Amino acid sequence: MKKTICMLAIVFVSGALFAQKKTTTSATVAFDATTNLDALPKADNKTVVAALDPKSGMIAFEAIVKSFSFKNPMMQDHFNSDKWLDSDKFPTVVFKGKITNLKAVDFKKDGTYLTEVKGDLTIHGITKPLNTTGSVVVTGKAISATAAFTIKVNDYGIINKAIDNGKVAKEPKITITADFK
Amino acid sequence: MSLKPAVKKIIITAITIFIITCCSIWYIFTEKFTDTVKEKADYAVNVLSFINEFKINDSLANKKYAEKIIEVTGVVTEIEMADSTVNIKLADTTSGSYVIFAFQQQHLAEAKIIKEGDKVTIKGSCSGGTYSQILETEYIVFKRCVLSK
Repeated sequence: MKKTICMLAIVFVSGALFAQKKTTTSATVAFDATTNLDALPKADNKTVVAALDPKSGMIAFEAIVKSFSFKNPMMQDHFNSDKWLDSDKFPTVVFKGKITNLKAVDFKKDGTYLTEVKGDLTIHGITKPLNTTGSVVVTGKAISATAAFTIKVNDYGIINKAIDNGKVAKEPKITITADFK
Repeated sequence: MSLKPAVKKIIITAITIFIITCCSIWYIFTEKFTDTVKEKADYAVNVLSFINEFKINDSLANKKYAEKIIEVTGVVTEIEMADSTVNIKLADTTSGSYVIFAFQQQHLAEAKIIKEGDKVTIKGSCSGGTYSQILETEYIVFKRCVLSK
């Protein structure tokens, strides 16, 4: 009997936790590595999985590297090749973090809230800490989150002549937008 | 004073090589992806069996399907707004695993008239699939999609 009660309690608690997590499978991650010499290295991925837990402040996203869409086919091939992101070996880009100023966000009240986010970003199989700011917009039951930051590509083991020659930015700008359900 | 025939030949060859190189560079850097409508599908699959292949072994399925043009048939389970565009989702409702299609810019209007419950065939470039740690389910993504039927 005790066992059954325990099991029911676990199911109830995990169900409640799951219910708190807001997710989307259509978040957007865009990056812009353009320079004065080359306007081609930029792309976006509109099928990113993202999650936000308003209670704990947990925030995360997963993007399939091959799903970054470029205008130029050659640029897309280069991006996925072993000289850049090596998407066959490292198929995803992952971020796991937390909103550290959670008290500043009222998920029950409409408004725009500035957030501070701390977490780990994994690109090219290398995980580095990432601290950034973003914003959360609450409109009724809908929650939108955005963040923009730069990364140093050589921190993630991406070293290429095109970066040294100034054709690809050393610190591309990454923008994330997610509308949670 | 006229140039020797050999020198003339060298100059003409150099100019020709220069023009061909410039044209090739211009072509490579201004090239765009072909409209997916004009692309021939490498595979035509049913959504549930397609998802199942990834669930059984996503490494093998990725080798077979990634970066290939695939035509997927199934019932629309969800329509999601993504930025200013629309993504169409075909899911296995029992497991939650899904395939999601991001439409090619010039074919967005087709995606916007699709409704949940519609039986559709969508053609696009498969970016591969993986197990989501967030959703705890398998998912497969497509880019540059068009509505086939």
